[in-house]
Order: sequence, then C-alpha cells, then structure tokens
Amino acid sequence: MLKYMRKYWIFAVLAAAFMIAEVTVDMIQPRLMADIVDNGILGLNGDGTPDLALIRSVGIKMILIVLAGGLFGMLSGTMANLCSQNFGNTIRKKCFDRIMHLSFEQTDAFTTGSLITRVTNDVSQVERLVQQLVRGFIRCLMFMVVGTITLMSLNVHFLVIIACAFPLVLLDIGFILWKTNPLFTLLQGRIDGLNSVIQENINGTRVVKAFIQEDREAARFDTANTSLVDTQLRVLILMSFLRPIMNIVLNLATVALIWVGAIQVQAGGMQPGEVMAAVTYISQILNGMMMLAMIFQTLARGRASAKRIRQVLDADPVIKDGTLDEESLRALYADSESDGTADSESDGAADSAAGKPADSAVTSVAASYQPNGSVVFKNVSFTYPASGANPGAPIEVLSGVDLEVRPGETLAVIGPTGCGKTSLVNLIPRFYDATEGTVEVDGVDVRDFKLQTLRSKVAFVTQKNELFSTTIVDNIAIGRPGATEDEIRKAAQTAQAEDFILQQPDGYDTAVAEGGMSLSGGQRQRISIARALLKNAEILIFDDSTSALDLKTEAALYQALKKNYPGMTKIVIAQRIATARKADRIAVVDSGHIDAVGTHQELMETSAVYRDICASQERKSPQKGGAA
Amino acid sequence: MSFVKKRFAASGNASGGASGSASASSTAVQGFGRRRNMGAPTEKPKDGGKTLRRLLAYFASHRAAVILLFFVVTATVLLRIAAPAYLSRAIDAITMRTFDKLPQILLIMIVLYVTSSACNLLEEYLGAKLSQKIVKGMRADLFRKTIDLPVDYLDTHSHGDLISRMTNDAENISNVVSSSLTSLFSGLLTLVGTVAIMLSYSWQLTLLSCSVIIFSVLFTRFLSRYIRKLYVKRQRLLGALNGIVNEKVTNYKTVTAYNQQDSVVDDFNGTSNELTRTGILSEILSSSMGPVMNMLNNVSFVVVAVFGGWQVIQGNITVGVISAFVIYSKQFSRPVNELAQLYGQIQTAMAGAERIFEIMDAPAENKSGEVHMDSTKGVIEFEHVNFSYVPGKQIIHDFNLKVEAGKKIALVGSTGSGKTTIINLLMRFYDIDSGRITLDGVDIRDIALSDLRDLVGIVLQDTVLFTDTIRGNMCYAKPDATQEDLERAAAFSNVDQIAAALPEGYETLLTDAGDNISQGQRQLIAIGRAFLSHPYILILDEATSNIDTRTEKHIQEAMYRLMEGRTSLIIAHRLSTIQDADTIVVMDQGHIVESGTHEELLAKKGTYFDLYQTQFAGQET
Repeated sequence: MLKYMRKYWIFAVLAAAFMIAEVTVDMIQPRLMADIVDNGILGLNGDGTPDLALIRSVGIKMILIVLAGGLFGMLSGTMANLCSQNFGNTIRKKCFDRIMHLSFEQTDAFTTGSLITRVTNDVSQVERLVQQLVRGFIRCLMFMVVGTITLMSLNVHFLVIIACAFPLVLLDIGFILWKTNPLFTLLQGRIDGLNSVIQENINGTRVVKAFIQEDREAARFDTANTSLVDTQLRVLILMSFLRPIMNIVLNLATVALIWVGAIQVQAGGMQPGEVMAAVTYISQILNGMMMLAMIFQTLARGRASAKRIRQVLDADPVIKDGTLDEESLRALYADSESDGTADSESDGAADSAAGKPADSAVTSVAASYQPNGSVVFKNVSFTYPASGANPGAPIEVLSGVDLEVRPGETLAVIGPTGCGKTSLVNLIPRFYDATEGTVEVDGVDVRDFKLQTLRSKVAFVTQKNELFSTTIVDNIAIGRPGATEDEIRKAAQTAQAEDFILQQPDGYDTAVAEGGMSLSGGQRQRISIARALLKNAEILIFDDSTSALDLKTEAALYQALKKNYPGMTKIVIAQRIATARKADRIAVVDSGHIDAVGTHQELMETSAVYRDICASQERKSPQKGGAA
Repeated sequence: MSFVKKRFAASGNASGGASGSASASSTAVQGFGRRRNMGAPTEKPKDGGKTLRRLLAYFASHRAAVILLFFVVTATVLLRIAAPAYLSRAIDAITMRTFDKLPQILLIMIVLYVTSSACNLLEEYLGAKLSQKIVKGMRADLFRKTIDLPVDYLDTHSHGDLISRMTNDAENISNVVSSSLTSLFSGLLTLVGTVAIMLSYSWQLTLLSCSVIIFSVLFTRFLSRYIRKLYVKRQRLLGALNGIVNEKVTNYKTVTAYNQQDSVVDDFNGTSNELTRTGILSEILSSSMGPVMNMLNNVSFVVVAVFGGWQVIQGNITVGVISAFVIYSKQFSRPVNELAQLYGQIQTAMAGAERIFEIMDAPAENKSGEVHMDSTKGVIEFEHVNFSYVPGKQIIHDFNLKVEAGKKIALVGSTGSGKTTIINLLMRFYDIDSGRITLDGVDIRDIALSDLRDLVGIVLQDTVLFTDTIRGNMCYAKPDATQEDLERAAAFSNVDQIAAALPEGYETLLTDAGDNISQGQRQLIAIGRAFLSHPYILILDEATSNIDTRTEKHIQEAMYRLMEGRTSLIIAHRLSTIQDADTIVVMDQGHIVESGTHEELLAKKGTYFDLYQTQFAGQET
C-alpha cells in the first residue's frame, strides 16, 4: 500500500520541514517573551522601570516571528493535508477499481456493506493516520529529542530519571496498544454489520412495512448498534488509561527531578535556575509524550483499517483474464487460413494440437475462430464456490452438459425452478467458470478470451433488472457508450419501450429512482432489454427477461427483434411455452442436465418433461374459446 | 429530438469536446457520465444555533452524567492550577536553600499529581461513556425514523447516502463528542477562572486582553460559515461515494456484463477527487484556526505589555501587578487556542448533525388510522380512486372495484397499466389523492396502519430476502412459528424441496446477492413467508414470474386450500396463472377496461380475449 505514497512523499517531506520551522519558532518565542518581561517591563537590567522602547522593538520582532511561525504552521498543515488526503484518494480509487474487477463470489463474500465501509470509513482512518504521522510524529519527536538532549546537557544525573521514566511510558503505551489492537479490527467489522442492517432495511423497506416488522428491525439494529458502541467504548476506556498513567509517570519524574536537583544544588553542583529550566524541559518532553500517545491511538486504528483495505487491494480476481482479443484472434486466424489447415470445427482442435506441438494451444484456438455468435458447452459441470457463510458441501448445479447453440439461431431454455438455467447462461460471459468441461464462444474457449473481448460479444439481460439512478437514456446508453440517438431509439422501439418512455414526465431524460423503483417491473425489463439491444453483440441472452411483460408486448418485442436485429444468436430463458415455442429450438433443462433439445413438435414427442410443462400451461377448459 | 437537446444542456461538461461539432457522432451518449443528484444537496449553511441546540438536547437526556463530568473536570482543572503553585514553591525552596521544607512540598505534589491523574482518568471514562450513549441514541433515533419514512422517500433518495449519514456522520459526532467534550469544559473553565483573577488585578488590562476574544469570536464566526459549508459538502460527497459503491456493487452483474467497469470507476474517481479537494480545503481552513489564534494572542500580549509599561510609568499600577498579569495572560492564551482548534472539530460534528436532522425532519409515514381490526371479512372496495406519483402524471383514474369477501381476484393488463400501484395503495405504501378505499366498509386511512398490514400477506414483484437463514426468512412475519408451521408453509410453497437439496437445509444462510439460490427459488421462499403469516387477505404481485409453471400450479393448489374463504388478489402476466380466479379485472392506463370470469371475458372477445389469443395461439397445431 505504501507504494501509493510515492507520488506524495514530497508533501510529507515539506510538511515535516515546515513543522520543524514552526517548532523552532515555538521554541524561540518564549525567550523573546521572557526578554520583554524581564528587561522591558520589569527593567531588570536598568533601574526597575519599564523600558517602552525595548518592549516595542522586541514586541514587533516577536509578532513577526510568531507570524512566520503561524505561516509555517499553516503551510505544514496544508502539506500534510495534501499528502494524506491525496494518498487516501489514491487508495480509495485503487480500492474501488479493484472491487469493480473482482469476481461475483468475491464481492459476495465481502458483502456490500463491508465494501462500503472499507472504501469510505477505512480510507478515512488511514488518511488520519498519515496526517498524524506526518505532522504529529515529527513534532513530538522534536520536542522529546530536543528536550531530552538539553535536559541531559544540564546535568547527567537527570539521565537516570529519564531512563527510569521512559521504559514505564513505553510499557504503558505497549500494553494498551496490545490490548486495543484486536479491538480495532473488530470495531470496523461492527461498522460493517451496522451498514448491512441499514442497507437491507432501506432496500427491503416494502417488506418490512408489509409485514409490520419495524419493531423487530429496530431491535436488530439495536443489537448491531449496541455491539458497535460497546466495542467502541471498550476501546475508548482502554485508551483512557493511556494518558493518566503517562501523566503520573512523567509528573513523578518531575518530582524526582526536583529532588535530585535539590541535592545537587545543596552540594553546590548546580544553580537553582538550572533546576527551573530542567522542569520546563521535562514538561516539554511530557507534552511530546502526550502527543505520542495520541498518535499511537490513531496508529492502532489506522493499522486495522489499512489491513482491511489491503484485503481488498490484494484480492486477486478468481476469474482470470485471458489473452486473446479480437485483433490477435484475427491475426492468428489469417495465419492458419493461409496454411490451409482450417479443419472442420469438431475435430480441428484435436488435429492441429497433435500436429503442431510447438504452439499447439494458440493454433488450435485460431484454427476454429469464427466471430459469428456460436456457443458450445462441452461436458460442462458447475458447482457454486462454497462461501464463508455456507461452508457445507456445495451442490453440483450443472453436470455433464453438452449443448450447441448455432450462429444466428434463437434457442429457448426451459425447465423447472432451480434446475440450473441461469447458471448455464452465467457461464457464457464468465460470470462464473465451469468447474469441469469447456464453454466455447465462436469456437474459442471462453477462458482464452480477454474478458473485455468476451463480454463485448455477449449482451446479457439479467433476471433481476438492474437499473441505475440516472436518466432512462443513460441507462440504455450503458449498452454502448457513444451510440447515436437513432440507435438508442431503435433499441428502445424494438424493446417496446419507447411508448411508455415518452409518456414519462421528461421522456428519455426522466430520472430513474434507485433500483428502478419508480418504474413498473415490465418497464424495467424493457429498459434492460433496450440496453442489451443497443449493445448489438453477437450473442443476446435473456435470463427470464420478459416475465413481467404482457403477452401482447412480448409478442411484439420478439417480432421487432427478428426484424431489427436478425443476425444475433439469441438464448432465451423462459417459463411460458408461448414464448419458447417461437424459438428455432428449445432446450429442456432438468436438474442440472439437458433433457432434450429440439423444436416444439419434436419435444412434444420426445420429452416427457416438456409435455408436462406444456400440460401445466394448457387452457383451462376444453371449450375452444380461442379458435371459435 | 427534444431529449437529445436536453441531454446536452445537462451534460455539457461531461461530453466536453464533442458538443462543439454538430455531426452525427456528436450525439454520442456518455454512458455513466452523470449521476442523478439525489440525497438533498443542501450546502446552505443552516441555522447553526438551532442545530447546536438540538445536538445539545441529546446531552440533556443524560443530565446526570453531564453534571458529574462537569464536577470531575472542575476538579481536574483546579488540581492542574494548584500543582504549578507547589512546583514554584519547591523551586523557591531550592533557591532560598530551605531544603528541609522540600520533602513536604514534594509529597503534596505527588498527592496532587496522583489525584489529578485519577480525576483525569475518570474524566476520560465519563466522556467516553457519555459520547457513546449520545451517539447510540442518535443513531437509534435516526434508524427508527428511517424505517418510518414513507416508501416514497426511500425510493427517491440515494440509499448509500442514507447509510453514510447513519455511520460516517454519526461517527463524526461521536469522535468530536468523545475527544472534545472534556477539553471544551476544561478550556472554558480555565478561561473563566483566569479572567476572574485578571479582573481582580486590573480591569483595564483585562479588557485589553479580552479584546483578543472579541477578535477570535469575529474571526471564527466569519470562518465557521465557510468551514461548515465545506464540511457539509464533504459529508455529502462521502455519502455520494457510499451511494456509488452501494449501487454499483448491487448491480455488479450489469456493470461487468456491459464492460462498464472503467466508466464506473471514472465516475467514482470524479466524486472521489472532488471529495479530496473539498476535504483538503476544509481541513486547511480549520487547521489555520490555531495559528491565527496564536498570532492574535501574541499581539494582545505585546499590546498589554506596552500599555502596562506605560501605566507603570504613569504610576497607575505597580510592576508586580503587571508581572502577574503577564503570567496570567499567558495562561489565558492556552484555552483560547484550544477552543479555537476545537471549534473546527465542532463544525464537523455540526455538519454531521445537520445531515442527520435533515432526515429526522422529513415527514414520517402517515399512520393516522385508529380503528383496530384484528380480523376481516375481506371486502375491499375502491371508490373513485385517483392517484399520481408525480403531480400532473395521473396513474390511476377514477378507479372503482368491489372485491367480495373470500373471492379470488386477478388483475391483468399491459405493463404500466397501474396494477402494482393498486396494491401500493391498498397497502398504504402510498396514499390516494382522492376517492376512498375501504376494507369491510372502513376507510383504510382510518384503520391502524399496523392492523391493516397485519391482515394482508403480500408477495412483492421484487423479491426481498434478508441476510438470514431460510428458516429466518420464512418465519420473518412470525418469529414464534413452530417447526410444524414452518414445514407446512414450506410444503405449500415447495421450499421444502429447496431445503432438502441444500446441505444445511433450512439453516442455509441466504445473502443479498448470493447466486447459490436461484431467483425462482427466492420467489418460492417469499411465497412461503407470506403463507406462514396466515393472512386474511393475500396479495401476489407477479409472485410467480420466475417460477416454472408446474411448480406454480402446485403452489396455486396449495394457496387455494390455504385461502379457502379468504380474499386474494393476484397480478400475473401468465394467463394460466389466473384463469381460475373468481373475477378477472383487465386494466389499461389506470382504468378498468373489463371484468368478469375467464369464460365471460372470452365470450366478450375484448381485450382479454386478445391477450388470451397471443398466449395460446397455435398451441394445438
């Protein structure tokens, strides 16, 4: 994490330099003040009457010096702020950037609430730490070092006192830090917990209200709140011992110092004035120590936060980026074509791999690359990674799936709830990786693509519609930033969205509430669909994306889709037979495997599961109301 | 096109260079360029006094602790003043070479120091306790208020920002209260004590010294306005960052599916940079407070010295007075300095408090009803109901519908025709503009809100489950449900099969985004949850949209058994779902177009007939 500091170390150095200047001024100023008092007001050098001219001249000098000191102080503060906040900004940005490149299972494991705390609260703690270190550490170090040296220069015997006091102070600091250290990690975790309760309640407010569970949620919040406050209190109470104990030690040192001084004076080895000065210096050391205590307090908390930030920064995405992008694929493909080794798709890979062991992997890929939107599942099995929350043996969701989606065709996927339909399509843009077997897009293993390349080939409409709190047009434009107005409207029209969009208060510029709550379910689905269409990718995936559309709208959508975006390969998860049967082929998924693939007619003959699904959707009464 | 023009007006800075050329490509749209500005961007400095008074009101409820703390601080301050007196006596003893006095003085000093430290410890302990109690109470109040806010408020405000108020803003207050409360007390006390002693020496010189206070007050007043404004802005930006993280992580699938990571990160970076700029500026301003105060103090010292010297020459005062004065005015400068620095911190707390009180002041959900109802026949009547979410955009027009007791009613119609809105109105998530909705003849606005919602079991279009086990989620409305209740509801809703397939069964922990349970399975759990609450009226709003039709059929049969003699309202697009309903109501644009049984409506050959045709067209062929 320190490497992000590199850019700002100059500010840190400047802050320290200005701090040294400020402290120096702080040390000169009392001397001038004493000069004014002793020689000016009390006239100790003269006849005992005030010397106004001296007061004025020294006074002006003092004001100028204090002015300079103030300026140094402000500059030091500015530099320290520039350093700590820019550093904080850098890690905050890095942290978020990392989060945006993690895999689902990872963001899920961190939980949204915790990620929010880490990006904001934890970064603030680290900022505070840097700020304190840059400013306070130098300051108290100066006070302590200068104080100690001058003290010792007065009389070596004082060294014994300091040597006794220091270890006690360090022991105090060490003990309390040792006690509080684990608490800080716990404390930040408690904030996570509180965040999560709030987040869930805000997102699920309708359910809380509908089941009138406000009191229960308040109790749940109270638990989280109490455990946060209790932890914080434990920290604060432990910390509250830090200063009084240091105070006692250092004040007793003062008493000891006077005692030793008195003995020295009595023996004639010292002047009373020197004892007085020694008392001043030890109070300076005491001040420095106090600051040190404060710094250690921040340090302890900052360290816990830094650890939590590092956990995010060091998290390696589970889904690893491949190497092949459009350009390198085309180049490879051109090569292999000139070789004339382009084989039939099915066994080409094996052939060339055997034939050219030198660069087998890449050549085998290149030989079969066809950017036409084909998807092939080869003996795919999939298990969701076990999470911290549920460490039990994970259940296999897909097992031995073989499925080929032909370029340009519309494939409907149908099957009972929880049979693995969504998991199946999740593997195509590599939201997750297959546990066994391979998924190929355009003849290339999806794991070989650069993620960006792969995902630009796939337009995915998620089951749970995800809209952002921006305008409708911006929500659609996410599909392809830089799309023209005509393209956006074409997508919206095809998605059957334009009519209702134009009815909104500001048309396309109408703002969407967080989570799309200002729109009906069907409207949200259509905006999501428009977004996917705008992307104009090779493969379009609808994960049960028209479930909230009435049948008329859905029919119009599919008709427009066929007309306006004919070349796309379309994979449509559906529950309604009426939706599925419009597809070229239908894949029936049942408990993690493909039961049958074929047209409606074929499946009616071959698949019992399919017949069963059809039967469940048949018209109620035998009367031929529709046909009449 | 109007929308493009508007876009440019709004995103002038976002699309920057492109706006210059009028070519087709200039209409390019910046994906995530802008964020809707939610979360009430109030940077106007509010009435600081009022915020402070409200903040202080929280202290008032811990009066005993505050008073105790005050006494302890007083003791500490007195001890702190007394100790140096003995110190100077000790030095005197050395100077005068009266060494025999020394042990006694030193002994007293030790006693003073030890008591002072003990007081100090007590002071910090009390301060910590008090601050945590206050913050806890404030957070609890805020949360209570948040869940009492109308659905409308939460729909239109950034959730991340709300979270930030409850954590970051509350924590700011906590930090300031715990770290500055005691310094504030002791600072003020020292100040008052010193001024009193100074007054006893010379009122002219005291006035002169105090002029520094007047300057400080003027200066801090001037500066505080900006500082608080900046702090509020900083807290708001922090809230916005929270919002971005919250939203983008929640919608992470879409972000990655559209390769939007980079633009999302850009968006985040923009806000983050802005936050840093504001943070640096506010910190610089507030940290300049100390040096400026120090300056003013020294200026005042010189002025006092000059004036005092002149007075001595005039023979008005003695040199002794002025020397004492100088010492006290030095003592005087320390608390002034401290208070000035505290002032900056207090502004942070005030900024946080302002944002917290903003939510506390938002109107809560209207819970006006008083009629108690613990059971219902289930007669629901909508009479001339009009409603609009946004003024001027009416969604429901003169809606009239009577649901007889124990009937199954289905609402169908194109998306956006107002079906969910009807449910929102019945649940009083929103209140109608005009007309009346009655339950058993009683206006629902007169029924106690909790009773109304208790009578109704609802399965919402958007499945919301909590981070809890399957059991916890199922028993959400009835925490005291028995295993039998649970198993019965689970069998009805097919949740038993989900649980059976999971290694941890009902104890499987569900997470918000967890993919280990499918969307359809989530719907089943939500249905089970509603079943378990044994409602008098059951509402299913697209509750089975992600569930396959065979499972749905099973659930429907269970539901019919469960809701025997009870009213249910079903919204669905799959006509197979609703064709058994007693009455099917077809809606369009907030009106009822037609209603009747499945057979009646088919015979009518109207809108329903058309819908039916699309679904089953060619099924037999």
